[in-house]
Amino acid sequence: MKEFDFIAPRTVEEFLPVLDQYKEKAEIVAGGTDIVLEFNERKLNPEVVLDVKKLKELDYIRVDEDYVHIGAVTSHATIAANEYIKENVVILATACGNVGSPQIRNLGTIGGNIATSSVAGDGLCAVLTLDASVVLKSVEGTRVMKLSDFLNGEGYKKINALKANELLTEVFFEKPDKHTATAFYKLGKRKALAISMIGGGMVVKVDDEGICTFASLRAGALGRYPLQLKAAEEFLVGKKLTMDTMMASLPIIHDIVYESAKTRPSVIYKKEAVQGVFHGDFQVIEDQLNKNMGGIR
Amino acid sequence: MKQITIEVTVNGTKGKLTIDPNKRLLDMLREDLGLTSVKEGCSEGECGACTVIFNGDPVTTCCMLAGQADGAEIITVEGLAIGGKIDPVQQAFMEVGAVQCGYCIPGMLLTAKALLMKNPDPTDAEIRVAMSGNLCRCTGYAKIHDGVKLAAKMMKEQQKEAVNE
Repeated sequence: MKEFDFIAPRTVEEFLPVLDQYKEKAEIVAGGTDIVLEFNERKLNPEVVLDVKKLKELDYIRVDEDYVHIGAVTSHATIAANEYIKENVVILATACGNVGSPQIRNLGTIGGNIATSSVAGDGLCAVLTLDASVVLKSVEGTRVMKLSDFLNGEGYKKINALKANELLTEVFFEKPDKHTATAFYKLGKRKALAISMIGGGMVVKVDDEGICTFASLRAGALGRYPLQLKAAEEFLVGKKLTMDTMMASLPIIHDIVYESAKTRPSVIYKKEAVQGVFHGDFQVIEDQLNKNMGGIR
Repeated sequence: MKQITIEVTVNGTKGKLTIDPNKRLLDMLREDLGLTSVKEGCSEGECGACTVIFNGDPVTTCCMLAGQADGAEIITVEGLAIGGKIDPVQQAFMEVGAVQCGYCIPGMLLTAKALLMKNPDPTDAEIRVAMSGNLCRCTGYAKIHDGVKLAAKMMKEQQKEAVNE
C-alpha cells in the first residue's frame, strides 16, 4: 500500500469540508471490502483516505409514513437482520443477506455498494429495482436524485453522478404496502462467497383484484448496471398476476438478455439461467401475494 | 504521511498504538502486536483465515484499514484462553478432530466463538450460514460443524455447573 494520510471525522458536518479540501486526492472508505483491496494492490493510490464508517449518524434504518430511509454506512448484516426489512422488503433482506460472507456483510455497507456501482452489486440491484433515490451531500448543499439517474450521471469517476466533493449519505425508497410484493434471487457459482453471475430483482404492485399495476424487474451482472427488463415489465402490467402469467414472461426475459449480451460468450448460459433466476423470484412473489392478500384470485 | 494514534482494546487489554495508516488491520495485528494467529490467506475477503471478532462480530481483517480499529474491541485466538484454560470452542475442535493443517482454524474458531456469543444454541442451518465465510481446503466441513455443535453443548454444561456452584 502506498503512503496516505488517514482522517476519520466523527460527524458529517466535519467530514464535508475535509472532503472538499482534498476532492479527487481523497478516497472514501466505508466497509473497505472492495477499496482496501485496491489500495493493497496499488490499483488506487490516494493521498488521503477518509473513513466514513465512524459516522454513526449515517447508520440507521428509519421508516416514516411514506418512505424507508437507510443511512449510507448501514451494513448489509444490519439490513438483512432488520425485522421491518425482513417482513416488508424481502428483495433487500435477501440481496443484503447473500452478499459475500457473514464477515463481508458485517463490514460492507449499502452506501459503499451503491457508490462503488459494481456490475454485480446485489444491494445496488435491489434498491434500483425498488426505484430508490439517493442523497448526496457536499459543502455546497444537498442533492437528491433517482438512483437510475445517479448511475447514468457523469461524476468525477465516470461511474456515477458523484462529484469529488460529495458524500452519499442515504438511500430511500417508497414504503411497500400490502399490495406490493418483492423478491431477489442470486445465482452464484456457490452458495457463499460468490460474486453474482445474475442477481434478479423484482417488485410488483397489484390492485384488489390481483391485476398488476406496476412491475419492476432488474437483472444484475448483465450490463454495466442492473439491466431493466422493460418488455417483461410491460407484459405483466394490466394482467392478473398468477404464476402462469409470470411464467409467460420468461421468453421475453430470455430475448432481452440475449439482445443485451449477445457479443459475450457467456450469453449462451445467461439467457437460459436468467429464466431460472426469475422463476425463483416468481415463487417468492406468489407466496407474498398469497400471504398479503389471501391468494391471487 | 502522518502517523496516526489509535486506541484499541485487544484481547481485553486497552492501549494506544501509533502506527503508519497505510496498513491493513491484519498487518497491524500481526506485525505491530505480534498476534500471528491471525492468518493471511487470500487477501481479498474470500477465505476467512484473517477473521477476528471485532466489536462482537466476525470480520475479515484483510479488508480493513488499521485506522478503522480506533475505539474497537478485538478478540483473536490469543485471547480465547482465560487463565491458561482453553476455550470450549478450542477444546471441542480438538475432541472431534476438526483440524488438519490448521491454517484456517484460527478464523474458524473465532467465527464459531462469535456465533456462540450471540446465539448459544444454534441450529445446524445457523451454524452452516455462520461458518460459510471460512474456507478449509484440507477436508470437508463435517467435523468443523461437529466441533461448533460440541462447543455449544460444552458451553451450556459449563454454565450449568457455574449455576450449581
